[in-house]
Amino acid sequence: MGRFILRRFMYMNVVILVVSMITFGLMHAVPGGPFDREKALPAEIIANLEKRYNLDKPLWQQYLMYLNDVFIPQFSKTAPTSNLEDDALITFKVSGNLWVRWMNFGPTFSSRSRTVNDIFRQQLPISIQLGILALTVALTIGVPLGILAALKQNTIFDYLGMSIAIFGVSVPVIVLGPLMIWIFGVTLKWLPPTGWGTKPPYILGIFPSDLSWSFWRTAIMPAVALGLGSSAIIARLTRASLLQVIREDYIRTARSKGVKESHVITRHALKNSLIPVVTILGPMMAALVTGTFVTELTFGIPGMGKYFVTSITNRDYPVIMGTILLYAVFLVVANLIVDIMYAYLDPRIRYD
Amino acid sequence: MRSKFFVLGGLLIVFSMILGACQPAAVPTPESIIQTVIVEGTPQIQIVTATPVPVVPVEEMKVLTLNMGPGDIPTLDPSLGTDTSSIQIAVETFVGLTRQDEVTNEVEPGMATKWESVVNDDGTETITFTLRDDVPWVRWNGKEVEQVLDCEGNVRMVTANEFYYGIIRTLMPDTGSEYAYVLGMVMVGADDFNNGITDDPTTVGVEVIDEYTIALTFIEQAVYNPAIAGMWIAYAEPSWLIDGDDCTEARTDKWTETGFFQGYGPYTLKEWVHDYYLTLIKNPFWPGADNIPVPKIEEVTWTMLDASPAMAEYEAGNVDAVGVPLADMDRVKADPVLSAEYMVAPDFCTYYYGFNTTALFVDDVRVRRALSFAIDRQSLIDNVLKGGQEPAGWFSRPGLAGAPTRETHPELGVAFDADKAKAFLQEYLDEKGITTAEVDITLMFNTSEGHRRIAEAIQQMWKDVLGLDIKLVNQEWRVYLSTIKGAGTPQIYRLGWCLDYADANNFIREVFDQNGSSNPYTAGEPSGGVFWKNEEFSTIVRAAATEKDPVKRVEMYAQAEEIMVLEDAVMAPIYWYTRNTLTKPYVTRTYSTGGHEHIEKWDVDMAAKP
Repeated sequence: MGRFILRRFMYMNVVILVVSMITFGLMHAVPGGPFDREKALPAEIIANLEKRYNLDKPLWQQYLMYLNDVFIPQFSKTAPTSNLEDDALITFKVSGNLWVRWMNFGPTFSSRSRTVNDIFRQQLPISIQLGILALTVALTIGVPLGILAALKQNTIFDYLGMSIAIFGVSVPVIVLGPLMIWIFGVTLKWLPPTGWGTKPPYILGIFPSDLSWSFWRTAIMPAVALGLGSSAIIARLTRASLLQVIREDYIRTARSKGVKESHVITRHALKNSLIPVVTILGPMMAALVTGTFVTELTFGIPGMGKYFVTSITNRDYPVIMGTILLYAVFLVVANLIVDIMYAYLDPRIRYD
Repeated sequence: MRSKFFVLGGLLIVFSMILGACQPAAVPTPESIIQTVIVEGTPQIQIVTATPVPVVPVEEMKVLTLNMGPGDIPTLDPSLGTDTSSIQIAVETFVGLTRQDEVTNEVEPGMATKWESVVNDDGTETITFTLRDDVPWVRWNGKEVEQVLDCEGNVRMVTANEFYYGIIRTLMPDTGSEYAYVLGMVMVGADDFNNGITDDPTTVGVEVIDEYTIALTFIEQAVYNPAIAGMWIAYAEPSWLIDGDDCTEARTDKWTETGFFQGYGPYTLKEWVHDYYLTLIKNPFWPGADNIPVPKIEEVTWTMLDASPAMAEYEAGNVDAVGVPLADMDRVKADPVLSAEYMVAPDFCTYYYGFNTTALFVDDVRVRRALSFAIDRQSLIDNVLKGGQEPAGWFSRPGLAGAPTRETHPELGVAFDADKAKAFLQEYLDEKGITTAEVDITLMFNTSEGHRRIAEAIQQMWKDVLGLDIKLVNQEWRVYLSTIKGAGTPQIYRLGWCLDYADANNFIREVFDQNGSSNPYTAGEPSGGVFWKNEEFSTIVRAAATEKDPVKRVEMYAQAEEIMVLEDAVMAPIYWYTRNTLTKPYVTRTYSTGGHEHIEKWDVDMAAKP
């Protein structure tokens, strides 16, 4: 298993490198630049701006500079200043006057006093918090609903459960969100219509430092709205998979040996039927925790989601690169975790 | 038996989730609220509990919550601001040499109490500004607003040196200021310094005479010079904070962040949580002036919400004023409560369609006139836009200095006239010997639901009035911007323009004169946009810039407009913008026409606030 994980980490580097290369190529191939405005700027002003952000250099050179800034630790004899160019995700002092800076994702063009790292530090934790809560909602609703529907196939429970699932899939956040805001936020005034109850600093850089009601009251609506759609997918998958598994020979064998029905379901059927669910959890997790545009916009949550969209419309090159690479890393890591879980869920799967 | 248990368990979990999601805010627990009570400018902290214990009624702190629109505020740095949000914060945290009234857009004293103009031998104009000497730099220290001290411990007052520094910093190529070109356009030497032709700041027409006197030299004796001197790109900036000095750490790009920020306007920055909200707090050291009074409201918070969530917050009572989303417009107008809080105020922007005057069919002025006359602007406003916009007869929005108005020029420009439109088109068709079916015209706009609805409505009008089938094409915003600047400019394209400073020059000349924003030139020849060269028009708008007689000046711009929208018909003005806002009845406010509110003139009646 150790060798497997190591090998996958090496693949991951290759994947990230390829993703960065394709993204870099594509974003520069798209017409229009970051400084195109409705009020056209004079050429000299654009030249000043391009010089400031090194956009006047040949593309291959810009790409190599980017790789260098992001992947290779930089040593310097001076302490970092508050210049945007000096902002690295990992900065530490080695000795007396030797500093190491690593992972500098560059400035953002659209926010003049911030860097991509600032977005990672301040917006990403909020998206992760929301994503984890939504995933929890999705699992706690989806899995029991799917089990219930499978075990009581073709009964009222099945039809009811699947109706809820179909409702969850077909009513997107863009409809459900405003509806919830209108009912619970505006009419009943139980919950604040928008906002997110925490702000930096975060515990371990991710988790909210305050988990009181003031946090939960802002989190309930977006987490439920976002989780409901995913819960429907999970419920349907769980049902289909469980239905298939309980018709397998080994289940029949277990039953004929006189194993208790609850034992058959939990130990044998459920564990095996979770493989498709776990498979989809990888990409689902990566998508949820890196930010969701519509949910964040609807509930006024200062997360990362909008940067995936606005960075592209703004041609904000460093933010495009940063968000895509971040998503790639989350996706690769999530899939690695999924692969490891396979080995646990199905003894037939081995990696060595 | 056991399976029943699972069914039951599953059900229980599902129901507990559903119930949990709907659970109301339990029992309101008594919580401590820390309230800042201001007594004669001295901030004190009092702990007041929310439990119903008999509390001596203290005057509630006046607070206001507004919405800025989705997305983070791009910058608080006056040198870098280009958008409404950034400039909104800049006008409250700084004050320019002059200041424009937010409603009338008249130039009023700002940090300069008076200014004198001298015309030099070479035709340039030097304006000497005398600054007030009673305004200190301030900062929020985490507890209260304090005055900034220099290395000797004296209060740093705002002087001519910081204005000099601010102007030069805007112009330095390394700063990368987008609006530096505005100074470059009017100030002697500014363009060359900004373009890196010289790196000697003394060549720029700005000179510190003494601590409280600064002189700016302008290329022309333009009427709008004092207005530009008061723009955010020419505000005083704290050199010690940005570049550092003996007792201050250099904060460079980060100087506008919470805790570092220094300013001197009626408000100063208290907290900026990126992408979430920004709070300004009253600057108790702002001495006040007739047109920039001491603020009545202690704290102003801007949320950064999309239009619909902001509307929900307004209805929930958490936001005090909000823009009306188009989807809610009909409901707001019909609702007895909301309609009383609804206000339509002018906004200084113009929406227009430009014609590529070199492209097939629209290269003939009669076709362009026909298209322009065939647009029923009032019908578009009533049925599509619904926000009380005004049908535009010409480009420079009335209310700008120098711009014609409906009162002074009732006959000017274009208006819907189906007969004229048909006549112009018929004349063209007869001459060319073609039918309407052979006329192939494309209208392009940038991808957006709003622009599509407008384009489709106008497409239908052209079909109904002229019998023309116009094609609609849309492109993603940035792709579109590069398309309409080059040889590939479509026959008809959409754009809008909003004011930078309230003068017709900012509209007519900066957009449509040679090498204007919508009329780009390469090597002295038109190369994009409307592809237009009209020497008479250029002569008029350039002369109008320096015309001192206001009546004559309006006449000149009216003449220029006549050439632009009728004689040559290079563009079809569609509508003049309005802002549709809802404001709670307990807020006393002004409605800015330029987009930047002067909150120091507002008030909140906290007693009336529910």
